[in-house]
Amino acid sequence: MRRSALLLLCVCTGVAQVAAQVGDAALRRNPGNDWLTYIGDYAGQRHSPLTEITPANISHLVPKWVRHFNAAGDLETVPLVHDGVMYATDSNQVIALDAITGREIWHYQAQGVRRRASNRGTAILGDRIFFETADCHLISLNRSNGAVFWDHDFAGGDKSFSCTGAPLAVKDKIIVGLASSGKTCYVAALSSETGSEAWRVRAVPRKGEPGSETWGDFPLDWGGGPTWTTGTYDPELNLLYWPTGNPWTDFSGGNRAGDNLYTDSVLALDADTGKMKWYFQFVPHDTHDWDANETPVLFDTEFKGRARKLLIQANRNGFYYVLDRDTGEFLQATPFVKKLNWASGIDAKGRPIVVPNTEPSSGGVRVCPSVHGATNWWAPTLDPKLALLYVVTLEECEIYYSSAQKPVPNSGYRGTGHTSIPSEPGLFYLRALDARTGRIAWEYPMPGPTTMWAGAVSTASGLVFTADDDGDLVALNSKTGKDLWHFYMGSNLHASPMTFAVSGRQYVTIAAGTNLFTFGLSSDGGSSK
Amino acid sequence: MKQIAVALLILSLPAFSQLGRTGPPSSANPLALDAKAVEAGEQRFQQLCTGCHGRGGVGGQGEGQGPNLVNSWEVRRASDRDLSGYIRNGVAGTAMPAFSLPDPQIRELAAYVRSLNAPANVVPVAGDPNAGETVFLQKGGCSDCHMIHGRGGYLGPDLSDIAATRRLGELRQAILDPKGLATDGYRPVRLRDVNGNSLRAIVKHESNWSLEVIDEKGGLHLLHGAEMKQAVPAASQWMPEDYGQRLSTDDVQNLLAYLSKQSLRQPSAKPVPSNARAENVN
Repeated sequence: MRRSALLLLCVCTGVAQVAAQVGDAALRRNPGNDWLTYIGDYAGQRHSPLTEITPANISHLVPKWVRHFNAAGDLETVPLVHDGVMYATDSNQVIALDAITGREIWHYQAQGVRRRASNRGTAILGDRIFFETADCHLISLNRSNGAVFWDHDFAGGDKSFSCTGAPLAVKDKIIVGLASSGKTCYVAALSSETGSEAWRVRAVPRKGEPGSETWGDFPLDWGGGPTWTTGTYDPELNLLYWPTGNPWTDFSGGNRAGDNLYTDSVLALDADTGKMKWYFQFVPHDTHDWDANETPVLFDTEFKGRARKLLIQANRNGFYYVLDRDTGEFLQATPFVKKLNWASGIDAKGRPIVVPNTEPSSGGVRVCPSVHGATNWWAPTLDPKLALLYVVTLEECEIYYSSAQKPVPNSGYRGTGHTSIPSEPGLFYLRALDARTGRIAWEYPMPGPTTMWAGAVSTASGLVFTADDDGDLVALNSKTGKDLWHFYMGSNLHASPMTFAVSGRQYVTIAAGTNLFTFGLSSDGGSSK
Repeated sequence: MKQIAVALLILSLPAFSQLGRTGPPSSANPLALDAKAVEAGEQRFQQLCTGCHGRGGVGGQGEGQGPNLVNSWEVRRASDRDLSGYIRNGVAGTAMPAFSLPDPQIRELAAYVRSLNAPANVVPVAGDPNAGETVFLQKGGCSDCHMIHGRGGYLGPDLSDIAATRRLGELRQAILDPKGLATDGYRPVRLRDVNGNSLRAIVKHESNWSLEVIDEKGGLHLLHGAEMKQAVPAASQWMPEDYGQRLSTDDVQNLLAYLSKQSLRQPSAKPVPSNARAENVN
């Protein structure tokens, strides 16, 4: 999308005025008018500086267009927008849309993929779009017309891996992760030019490497630790923060004696080499499938009287963590759900104080949070001025079961599982956590069937947009949590909203069911411009 | 020949109803790889089958005639054994009769029908792919408008995976007789730049309210309302219609050999199941 300087285009509004290459500087500045990474910005704050849509005019927010996907399941995509073009995904496909009208510019469908899976989005760098197929090929596409530069199988033909995440563009590399049931996962950096692999970091060490002693006799190539969501990046420290998921077998830990490093952790990796600077494990020896794949948000602030570079995460296990992201030092953890019975707290070193008899058992044991998690991979958002982290939170318990069975990778065996408790239904909230203390500043209950998998985005105008458990997009006052606006989209929500601007007009987009909805202020009023 | 009608009339109604979801060719059936069988089958097909199934298997005309066997959902779904069985035994309840032919001839017919549904990357193609690449980049000027792995122009479809998504016959026809090609997403227009120069461009999408246009340099133009008038229809499509004269027979065959190598993945061992279910989020 070069600047072609067409005569009339220059004097018209509403025309995509094309496109410098998307480089490192643009990615560092993001988000602004554009939305250039799945996580919104390298810090994972997802806080937009856009201010056209405000608490005062939000009653004028109306649907602008809806784009249907012929999708098999609920969309999980968070689209990127650059220069008025939106890039959205579903399983094994990418579409480029005119962001103002929703009309299709191009459509790429990967052929010959023998698997379907959700897909959360793309990365953009230079003149290219990158996305992962369900069987873990990274595909590089020309962002003007969707033409293929290359297709690289970063799982090396191993069909036991699956991919659902959005890759992350960092300098000249594209960072990817994957998932499995019974195979050790890894984070990899691929050249954005050629797709060749620059480095790879396993979520489970090899024999003899540090951390390998935390697995007993368990085969180290079976350990899991899926890396299936998108990490964050600190350009100043040149560190990637990539979260890992739970050890396999999920609900039965008897075969894997020890802490099972580096599962349920965040890894601080040199972006150029992949060298691990530090790691922090949230749940040693997890038996409840409490992946740590929630976004590790980066936040510079004063903490207990000292300016610090923090990494904060509301974890699936029910605790809100504060770490020093330069050193990995554990600073604080506080519960952000009331239904939490597996640990009485977190000790001074960051290790949970586990309550006895909360391991899954053959007869079943009631444990909170549920497998769904106190939160999960859906996006949190941070308003740095208010120092509030907005987290879609689930208060729920479940019965966890386990069985001792010889583990066989990719057999479907996960160590058994979990069931809901009909007499004790869960309830979703949007909670605003004081990012420094973990205290709940306000909460907004969201009654529904507890089937949502959706997150939030905040704006500098004092709004938080979140999906709710009943199929609505909701706008709240970010200071108070007051409900200002909602729109019912009629579907179960599995995606997080994002916001962008084209030609000075702000829009909000979210996927709902098999449709992509985009909202903007009505043309007959409401705009401050 | 009326009564001869038609292999695969079986399930012909469902077959027609499914045409819209046929999808790209996908077959690794060994029959499609047997060039001699395909060739012999084609000759026999012309003698025995075109009366009902039409020339080249594209379907007969009028009531009671045989269905289209090209890019057919039913053919792709059927095994080699099924196909042979339909020819040998006919299909009860349809006009498709039994053909008592020796097994090798049945097999050849099935091979030909299979080849009508096989993508170019799974069938044998004569010619020199290296020479074909030269035609693509130079003599033919194909890369002025088509990309392969990011190299080329913007006015035509990307061809990086074309051999996995098109049959050889479709590729040949696109080169030699492009008039009938679908123009959806490639309608030719002209745009004028600040110096008064006319740029070739294509319309990726059009409605009464917007046009999404890509010019020959890769510039993307999202035209809304009155801006849509900036795109003026071109007199003819950008794909040249004279390759039959400009290129020699060898050039065309070499070009086909080159294009038939353009697939991003190796041909799959089995057809991709159309009803594959989405996996859980984790």
